[in-house]
Amino acid sequence: MSDHGGSNPYKIYWTTWFVLLLITVAMLLAEKFHMPRWFLVAFLVAFMATKAVMIAGNFMHLRFEKANLGIIVVTSLILFLFITPESASVLAKTPR
Amino acid sequence: MTDAHAATLEAHWGGGAAPFGATWQKTMMWIFIVTDGLLFSGLLCGYAFLRMASPMPWPKQSEVFSIPFIALMTFILITSSAFMGSAVTAARLGDRKKTLLNLALTIVGGAAFLGCQAIEWSHLIHEGARLTGNPWGAPQFGQAFFLLTGFHGSHVFSGLVILAITYVRSLMGKTPAQGVEIAGLYWHFVDLVWVFIFTLFYLL
Repeated sequence: MSDHGGSNPYKIYWTTWFVLLLITVAMLLAEKFHMPRWFLVAFLVAFMATKAVMIAGNFMHLRFEKANLGIIVVTSLILFLFITPESASVLAKTPR
Repeated sequence: MTDAHAATLEAHWGGGAAPFGATWQKTMMWIFIVTDGLLFSGLLCGYAFLRMASPMPWPKQSEVFSIPFIALMTFILITSSAFMGSAVTAARLGDRKKTLLNLALTIVGGAAFLGCQAIEWSHLIHEGARLTGNPWGAPQFGQAFFLLTGFHGSHVFSGLVILAITYVRSLMGKTPAQGVEIAGLYWHFVDLVWVFIFTLFYLL
């Protein structure tokens, strides 16, 4: 892992930490502005995904591992995506 | 399938190789993290379902929680994760003093997070939040809150136990750099789950 991040190997963690903080502040401020609900949801989910990728990639070193390891992680998420439309279809059939 | 492809498959997956480019300990931790990730995916999916299916309006989070307090908890957890990363790097570089210092700071952060959660829980229970109902709206809100944050909090707790063991063993010089890294993987995962709970439960 010494082949990246320049001379200071600790730097990547604190750069990531700072960006994560900025994103969190942006997410907290977003609700203060008036915007359509769908836009707020899209904004928050996009930033949430960015934070998740940064934590998995930089903190958990997934970016620097062999691609095979990343593939087992992503595959499980694909499995999960199958459940979501299914639960939505159950919801559509639920009498209100 | 071409011969070259078959040869590659044989070389990487035919045995005797490390297809993930990681030791078995690290691979097992990753597989555990994937299964644990599915557990939380299921919980979050269940929460989304309860919320969408609820005939009563969902309580407005900013009226129930103190969002600045939740932001502080997020800050504490992200910071402890950065200390953990530094501990992993220090362990890899063989700097035991720095490893121990960063591990200690990680543990302090995790304990502070659990303390904040204890304050939040007792405050909400005092206000009347229960698994079966709450004063603010849809009764499922209480269930979703206690289950999501409870499962996450118990993960923070087990993470603290793992970190404490890693700290003591590092102090005795018994933990190899990889041991710190694997403990770190789990700790970062706990932080990762909080990112989702923070966004989907507290902000949306």
